[in-house]
Amino acid sequence: MIDVLRRITHEPLGLIGLILVILIVISAILAGVVAPYDPVALNIVDRLQGPSINHLLGTDQLGRDLFSRVLYGGQVALKVALISIGAALSIGVLLGMVAGFGPRWLDNIIMLFFDTIRSFPTVMFALATVALVGPSLETVILVIIVTSIPNYGRVVRTQTLSIKSNEFIRAEHGMGASLFRILGIHVLPNVMGPLVILASMDIPTVIALEAGLSFLGMGVKPPTPSWGSILNDGYTLIRNTPWPIIAGSIPLVLITLGFTFLGESLRDLIDPKLRKSV
Amino acid sequence: MITKQSKKDLLKDLNRRQFLQTSGALGLAAATSSIAEIVYAQDKTILKIRAYADMRSLDPAFSQGITDEEIHSCIYSKLIQYKPGREWSWELDAAESIEQVDDTHIKFKLKPGIMFTGGHGEMTAEDVKYSYERILDDALESTNKPDWGSLKEVTVDGKYEGTIVFDEPYPPAWNIALPYIVGNIISKKAWEEAGGKVDTTTPSTSGPYLHKEWQPKQKTILVRNPDWHGGTAAFDEIHIFPIDDENTAQIAFESGDIDCTRLSLGAVGNLKASPPENSTIEEYPSLYYVWVGMNVENEAMADQNLRKAVQHCIDVPSILQASYFGAAEASTGIIAPGLIGHRPQSMVPPESDIAKAKEYLAAAGLDGGVNVTLDVLNKAANVTTAQVIQATCAEAGISVEVNLHESGAFWSLGDSSAGERYKDIQLILNRFSMAPDPSYATAWFVSDQKGIWNWERYSDQEFDNLEAKAKATSDPAQRDEMYRKMQDMMEESGAYRFITHEATPVIYRNTIKPAFRPDGLPLLRSFTGA
Repeated sequence: MIDVLRRITHEPLGLIGLILVILIVISAILAGVVAPYDPVALNIVDRLQGPSINHLLGTDQLGRDLFSRVLYGGQVALKVALISIGAALSIGVLLGMVAGFGPRWLDNIIMLFFDTIRSFPTVMFALATVALVGPSLETVILVIIVTSIPNYGRVVRTQTLSIKSNEFIRAEHGMGASLFRILGIHVLPNVMGPLVILASMDIPTVIALEAGLSFLGMGVKPPTPSWGSILNDGYTLIRNTPWPIIAGSIPLVLITLGFTFLGESLRDLIDPKLRKSV
Repeated sequence: MITKQSKKDLLKDLNRRQFLQTSGALGLAAATSSIAEIVYAQDKTILKIRAYADMRSLDPAFSQGITDEEIHSCIYSKLIQYKPGREWSWELDAAESIEQVDDTHIKFKLKPGIMFTGGHGEMTAEDVKYSYERILDDALESTNKPDWGSLKEVTVDGKYEGTIVFDEPYPPAWNIALPYIVGNIISKKAWEEAGGKVDTTTPSTSGPYLHKEWQPKQKTILVRNPDWHGGTAAFDEIHIFPIDDENTAQIAFESGDIDCTRLSLGAVGNLKASPPENSTIEEYPSLYYVWVGMNVENEAMADQNLRKAVQHCIDVPSILQASYFGAAEASTGIIAPGLIGHRPQSMVPPESDIAKAKEYLAAAGLDGGVNVTLDVLNKAANVTTAQVIQATCAEAGISVEVNLHESGAFWSLGDSSAGERYKDIQLILNRFSMAPDPSYATAWFVSDQKGIWNWERYSDQEFDNLEAKAKATSDPAQRDEMYRKMQDMMEESGAYRFITHEATPVIYRNTIKPAFRPDGLPLLRSFTGA
């Protein structure tokens, strides 16, 4: 781990990515300490102010401090990303290994399940689900988990199928090793590398999806700050002030760049061959 | 045909020089097309206007909303039309004379020589009879039937003369029937040939403009009717563009694509400070009414003290500042200024009174706090309003959870035929459109409307009786008193907190002379060149 970190910091893009990610993660975690104002406290007298010493990114239509809302919005974004990707990864790994190692009929059923989910455009699926059960953070997380499972499941299945035919697996099997031991000790460590890269690349996508749904009013409920809802406020106020749009965009751009740079560096480190094939 | 793949290949093969050459050619083409358009525009006088929605029907029995009516009033004739200006009044159109002879009879005489297009002959009293009575026909299932109130029949007294007969007095006929949607006169002959009803085409018209073309979600084109009885219409063509979003409409105006549009309230301040060249901004009061309703049948909201606590928590001036940019006034009820029944002030002051709210909460046994939900249509002003309500209610210990809904889901929330969700409504932020008669406002809050438009499920026999009586009362002073009383009753029930009637700012190019109703809605047939 330390070696990976050391190597990442030796790559300019990796270093930038790491710094951006650390910066955003820490600012989100410490939002309660760093934010100068309550992100939901109204101050209508000071509405639509430009940046100043008092309000670094200005204020929105309700006089709320945009800098504080951006910091707290980071908590929502990371919460969605970590919970949904964590859950999708876990379920995807499990289903992928079962599909790869299990009987053919089970493989077919799981692949049919994956293909069915992937046949829905993610955003349309998200909009339909939200329209059906109502907008909330939990709904967004659920949608992302369901739509992300096939991404991880397919990768794991392919890797498992490839490892399954190796001689050392057959030897383990011959020596009477249990299925759980084979999967846990031999298969899982071999599939984790690509998954970590995939997950790190997925984080900005998931955050953008949450922001997109919140932009459409189908994500977090008011008054919870979210980068998407800040962008939505900015869109409706674009003729009055550009600052809400700028405030909502900055963290999205930074986190996308951060995780993309970091993911690419990880990919180079873990699987240099993959880079050549891209 | 250029497929997606071939487009990609083309782009891949395009080097910088080719790109510049192609851009130049495209630029020249675009410039040429603009020039062509300008020449075209110079040849013809074209009024380009924005509508908030697309056209839906050309049949007055089935027209839906203002856009349809804007088009209908251009292509059809009515006995009377709304008169442009700041005060509600009407002017003669197809009628040479019209008179209320007693409480239930209106006599009219048509101007001779009004011709229907398509060779369908001259307009007669038979056409008026057919136009009005078909809307009453249950078999037709006209969505606009309620606008005719107690209309019984139209009797034909001569080729051009007729009498409109009501079962009981119906004063709203002068405000929301004769000069509005159901007042359009169609050709009996043409309609019968068309099978009794039409959709998005019309077999015959008689107004200043003809319906030339409807390009769904693009535009509706009207052209001058050379045979119009009223003289020569001002423009060769009117192009009506459906643009839902007001910011987009403003961009379209600034880029010269349209000549007139309603503005968002948030845009007015900046535009007044720095108006686009050669344009004028005008502000009109609106008839819309916005309010927070409370479902009296919901278990949590059944206690009147809780409802009154919510009334006193909501700070209307803050909402007006945050959501309406200070450009709208607080409302005193559902009937706007300028109409019969408007109350000079509400019983609950617009400002919040948290101490009083806490008293009501204590009386309800809820001084420890209470959680309620607020259902809101997902539009910017509504979401902002909801957050102001959330914040001020929190001061009194009422925790408001805001549920945002997209349009389809929102408008079926209180509909009892669409499931059981109406039972879950606690607080709801709502906004209704309005026609210039008080009966159009109160009609939705009677007991019979429970589960249709009465989402508060407010029910009071005295209110119902008053509503029926007011609609059939001819004396304006008596009507005024009754409608005020009805709004008092609504407010006393605690089920309503009135917010605003909004406002209608409009911008137009100085090359045209627009004509608006007192609520700022355009009367296209009366637009002229400057």
